[in-house]
Amino acid sequence: MSLTLSLHTLPDVPIEADVICTDKLNNVNEAALSALTIFHGKEQVMLGDFFKVQGKYDGEIRIEGDLSRIKHLGAGMSGGRIIISGNVGAHLGAGMSGGEIIVEGNAGDWIASEMIGGRVIVKGNAGHMVGGAYRGSPVGMQGGEIIIHGNARNETGNAMRHGLIVVGGNSEDFTGVSMLAGTIIVLGEMGIRSGAGMKRAPSFPCIRQKCFRHSPMLAPIILLMCESISHILKSTDYKLMMHS
Amino acid sequence: MSENIRTVKNATCTFCGCLCDDMELTVDLDEHRITKAKNACVLGRAWYAEHVIEDRPAAMIDGKEVDFDEAVEEAAQVLVNAKFPIIYGLSDTTSEAQREAVAIADYIHGTIDTTTSVCHGPTGMAFQGVGESTMSLGEVKNRADMVIFWGGNPAVSHPRLFTRYAVTTKGMFIPNGKKDRTIVLVDVRKTASDPVANIQIKVKPGKDFELLWALRALVKGKSIDPSIEKITGVSLATLEDLVDRMKKCNYGVIFFGMGLTMTRGRHFNSGALMALGTDLNEFTHFVVKPARGHGNVTGADNVVSWQTGYPFGVNFNLGYPRFNPGEFTTVDTLSNRDADAAMFIASDPASNFPKPAIEHMKRIPVISLDPKQTITSSLAHVAFTTATYGINTTGTVYRMDDVPITLRKAYDSPFPSDEEILTAIKKRVRELMLSKYGTSGVRGEAKVASLTPL
Repeated sequence: MSLTLSLHTLPDVPIEADVICTDKLNNVNEAALSALTIFHGKEQVMLGDFFKVQGKYDGEIRIEGDLSRIKHLGAGMSGGRIIISGNVGAHLGAGMSGGEIIVEGNAGDWIASEMIGGRVIVKGNAGHMVGGAYRGSPVGMQGGEIIIHGNARNETGNAMRHGLIVVGGNSEDFTGVSMLAGTIIVLGEMGIRSGAGMKRAPSFPCIRQKCFRHSPMLAPIILLMCESISHILKSTDYKLMMHS
Repeated sequence: MSENIRTVKNATCTFCGCLCDDMELTVDLDEHRITKAKNACVLGRAWYAEHVIEDRPAAMIDGKEVDFDEAVEEAAQVLVNAKFPIIYGLSDTTSEAQREAVAIADYIHGTIDTTTSVCHGPTGMAFQGVGESTMSLGEVKNRADMVIFWGGNPAVSHPRLFTRYAVTTKGMFIPNGKKDRTIVLVDVRKTASDPVANIQIKVKPGKDFELLWALRALVKGKSIDPSIEKITGVSLATLEDLVDRMKKCNYGVIFFGMGLTMTRGRHFNSGALMALGTDLNEFTHFVVKPARGHGNVTGADNVVSWQTGYPFGVNFNLGYPRFNPGEFTTVDTLSNRDADAAMFIASDPASNFPKPAIEHMKRIPVISLDPKQTITSSLAHVAFTTATYGINTTGTVYRMDDVPITLRKAYDSPFPSDEEILTAIKKRVRELMLSKYGTSGVRGEAKVASLTPL
């Protein structure tokens, strides 16, 4: 049985739960899982204070409930899978190097920022700074794939160096700003100043597929294609292809 | 007018970021008023003339007058018991008080932010990406032969910037004052600053970034399509002429204001301007400087940076400072309903923040420190009346070019200074934190460790 975490108490202030990460939960039993520390604002509390823990980690974590105020879920993970049934807060999968996160609802800001590898799929909308660089950091996403079925907001793929971002809906201003390499595909409309300050634009273009705007039926198919292509690329020597 | 008159020479006006330190104040000590402020501009005269000691309680809880100690105790309890306390403001107080506020934020593991986040915050973010080429205003006075004002209206916001430093003043290498200078004004509309300019450039609203990017390309010798006029409203010939002048000047300065930082694009706008300055240094000496508004907002940046490593929007929830504008800046922590207690020092966010933020302020306990009654102090749970910095207190303030200046006070106030109040709160907060969490400093760890046989 895979590990299931269900939010039973809504937090008063944001929770930082980077402990909910595949790498940190191997061989941990339910009691010990419940006692793991998370930050409720400035207070250290136990995971069990907010989540009902069931099962044991076997490569997959399912998280249920309204997680829109839970931050840093899956941050830094290197393998396994996290499935989030509802909405999720900021910094989801930030800095992750492998594994997969699937969000059924909407995601907050800074999802998969500065990720190195792995895959994040958001079935709803995402916030600002998808796969972006943190303030003061020169490098954003360096590898992996982010697939947003809905819309993304400002600065998608800020300072991106490698990898793939696909947005099924619209993105807002400064999509791909300061990007050096990698691919961003936006099926809907983009805001102003897309690709401002980008380098190597000819070899790794920001693609704007205007035709999909008028045929929304195509968008899910394209998204599915992107997902499966990224699976195939993953199984072959994807990294090599990105470098070539 | 009484006989009890005192004159204060070389006082510093703390109204705007110019911090003119050549005021000559005539003070009526019986009336507790400044009757004359020689050398002050229109803003400075109003600042001094309208300052009176108000008949208000020094400390109030829920609108009722209380002892100072009682108010300090209540404020400390609110801050210590909150899960996500925020501290905001700090731009109109001394750097000594700012230092105490950072210490409180550190002790309570809270979030500290300054009014920078709603004015030149994007500039602070752009510094990190682009870097800053800087100068003192004395250098501008003595050397600058090309001065560009972008997205600001100094004639109204910093009236003495023109006469004291940047336009008409004569300097060591600028013997003829304005005749030796080329003044350029870039704005979207006609402003009161227009008459000083040799060249006025009217850019279409929200097209600063495009204009700056075109200028950068021209500076680098790349060709620009004449359609730039259609996009930005400025002809290619004007841009080429401007670039030519910029490259040929001996010492260029660009001052910029919130027309750039608070319009669409924000930190990319100010970053583009700073990048233009960097590009121009291949040809001549060029510096870029934000024209800061409040008296000591530059000090707030300096103090918060010096103590935490970051200029604003700093969070201590995990025990160490983290910087993330958009997450820890006050408009966001309030609008997202994250904060559960707030301390506002020398600022009035309830009068100018977005509606959702103000709504949330009404839901949480607010502590306010302000010399006057404001909308924020009216909705505050604990309200302190403070002495006004620069008039009733001494201390250190930073001019917009990061030069620290010591204040001279004109007369005493019956109210305590921000520094005294914050020091008292800090002391009590520290005691409470120690009794609540022990000396380990890491809250809750003992409880969790006893339950976690990991």
